[in-house]
Amino acid sequence: MSVRVRNVQSYISTSHDPFLNLSLEHHLLQSSPSDSTILFLYVNRPSIIIGRNQNPWLEVNLELLRTANASANAKGGVEKEEGRRNAIGPIDLVRRRSGGGTVFHDTGNVNWTVICPPATFTRDKHAEMVVRALRNLGVERARVNERHDIVMDQGAARLGKSVDEDDMHVTPFTRSEGDGQSEGDGGRPLKISGSAYKLTRHRALHHGTCLLSSPNLGVIPQYLHSPVRPYIKARGVDSVSSPVGNVGLANNDFQTAVADEFACMYGGELEAEVLQDGLLEVEEVRKGHEELKAVEWTYNQTPQFTFSLQPTADDQRERPAIESLHSGAQFFFKARHGVITEASASFPKTDGAGVITSELDFLKDRMVHEINGWANLKEKFDAHIGEDNSEQLAQWLDSTFTVSANQ
Amino acid sequence: MATRTSLLRTACRAHAAAPQSISRSAFVTAQWRRQNQAPRMFSVAAKVQEKKYTKDHEWIELGEDGKTYTLGITSYAASALGDVIYIELPSSGLEIGAGDAIGAVESVKSASDILTPVSGTVVATNEVLEEKPKVLNDSPEGDGWICRIEGDGTDVEGLMGVGEYKAFTEEEEAH
Repeated sequence: MSVRVRNVQSYISTSHDPFLNLSLEHHLLQSSPSDSTILFLYVNRPSIIIGRNQNPWLEVNLELLRTANASANAKGGVEKEEGRRNAIGPIDLVRRRSGGGTVFHDTGNVNWTVICPPATFTRDKHAEMVVRALRNLGVERARVNERHDIVMDQGAARLGKSVDEDDMHVTPFTRSEGDGQSEGDGGRPLKISGSAYKLTRHRALHHGTCLLSSPNLGVIPQYLHSPVRPYIKARGVDSVSSPVGNVGLANNDFQTAVADEFACMYGGELEAEVLQDGLLEVEEVRKGHEELKAVEWTYNQTPQFTFSLQPTADDQRERPAIESLHSGAQFFFKARHGVITEASASFPKTDGAGVITSELDFLKDRMVHEINGWANLKEKFDAHIGEDNSEQLAQWLDSTFTVSANQ
Repeated sequence: MATRTSLLRTACRAHAAAPQSISRSAFVTAQWRRQNQAPRMFSVAAKVQEKKYTKDHEWIELGEDGKTYTLGITSYAASALGDVIYIELPSSGLEIGAGDAIGAVESVKSASDILTPVSGTVVATNEVLEEKPKVLNDSPEGDGWICRIEGDGTDVEGLMGVGEYKAFTEEEEAH
C-alpha cells in the first residue's frame, strides 16, 4: 500500500482478519500525511476486540472462548459431545490500540475509521457522519448518544415533538427523562455502533462498529460475561454493557452511504482504494500485525489486577460461592503486566481445627496466561494447602483461567 | 467498491473542515522557529530551569541536579482530555528519545500518547497515578507528574515559556 498524497483518501479492506485490518488501520494512522483525512472500511470475521487498557480475564469468558475454539478447530468443526455445536466457529481475541470497552465483531458488522488532523477532531463529528449516512438509507431512528455511540430509538409512536432533522443527536422517537415513559413502552434505545479513539502527536483516529446483520447477537453476551468477574479487581477500563441491535442493512449499502457522506464532508473523490491480503509484505504492516498477535500484547498489557476468592480490604464485595471449593477457601494473587507478583492461599483444615495459610511463592513471576494447566501445579499446591484443597482449586483455576492455545 | 460509480449526491451539505486551521498552526510554528534561532546565552541546563511547555501539551522542569527532568501534561491538556480513567506509565530504566511516546492516558474512550521532548532514561514514575488516575485531572502540573527522566545531554528543542504557551493554547482555543 502506498499511502497516497491526496488530502482526502478512502480505503476498503477485502480481508476479514482482525489483526491485519487493525494493523492496516494503524499503518494509515502512522504513515498518512498529517494534514490528510482518511476513511477506512473493513469487516472482521468473528472476534472479540478488547480496549487498550482492559483485562481479558474480566471482559471475556475465556473458558467459553477456549472450548468454542477447540470445538471449531476439531475435525469438521463440530462438537459432538453433549450435542453442543459452536455456531460461530473460531473467535479471535484481539487487544486494539485505541481506548474504550470490549466489542464483538463478525461479518454482519462493518467497521468504519476516520483519521484526521487533531485540530479538526471532535469526538462526535464522525459518529454524526455515520448517522447521516444511516438516515440517508432510511434509518430515521439513528442518533448519536451522550457516550458518542450510535443508537436506534425504539417505540412505535412518534413523540409529537418537532425535531430538527439536521440534529444528529435526536430523532422523532427520542425519549427524554421528562417524557415519563422512559423504559416501559418501547424500551431503551438499542446500541448499533460503539466508538473508540486513538490520539497521537499529529493524528486523531476515530473508529466505530456498526451492527447491520449479525446473526450472533443472542450468543455474544455469553462470551462477554466472565465467570471470574466477581473475584477480580482491576485497574484500567471497564466495559459499559448496553442492549444492542442490528440495523438491518446490507454491508455494501452501508459502506457506500458512509463513503458518500465522507465525500460530502471533505470533498474528496469517492473511489476507494481496495486493500488486499498481500499487504502483510509492507514492513510496517507486518510489524504492527506481529505486535498485535503477540500474547505479550494481548495479556501482558493488562493493567494491574488482583484475584481473591474472599472479600479483601480493597474489594469488599461478597463473592459468589464456588460449589467445588470450601466456602472458607481463600486464594489470592496480584498480577502486574499479567505477571503474578504475589500469591497466597488459606484453607480450613479437614479436621475443622484452624486453617492452613501459605504464601504461594512458586506462582511468583509466572505469567497468568502461560499457566496453561493449573492442574500441573497440583503437586506444588499440595505441599502448601493439602491434597484435597489443591485438587479442587487447581481444577477450578484450570477451567476459568486457562487461555486458548491459539490466542 | 473501487469499481463502483460515484453516487455523490448533488445536495451535498457543507461539512468541510475549516481550512484556516492549517494556516494558523503554520503561523505558530513559524513564530516559534524564530524564537529558536535566537542566540543561546546559557548552557542547556540553565535554559530549562524554569518550567517549559511543548506544543503537544507536556511540561518539563529541570531539577536542581541539572540533569533530571520532571515531565507531566499541562492543565490545559488535562482539562481537554476529560475524566482520566487510566494512565500507562513508562517503566523505570526505559531509554527514550525526544518525540517518543512514553505512555498513554485513557479518557472518554480515547487513548492519547504522552510524548517526551527530552532524550534520556526514565528514572522514576509517579505510581500514585496508577491507583488514582484522577490526580492527573486534579493536579496535572503538581502531584500528577508522570515521570522523571535523566537527560542524556542533548539539546531540548521546541520548548515554550509560560507566556508563549498561554498564547499558543489561546490560538488553539480559537479554532
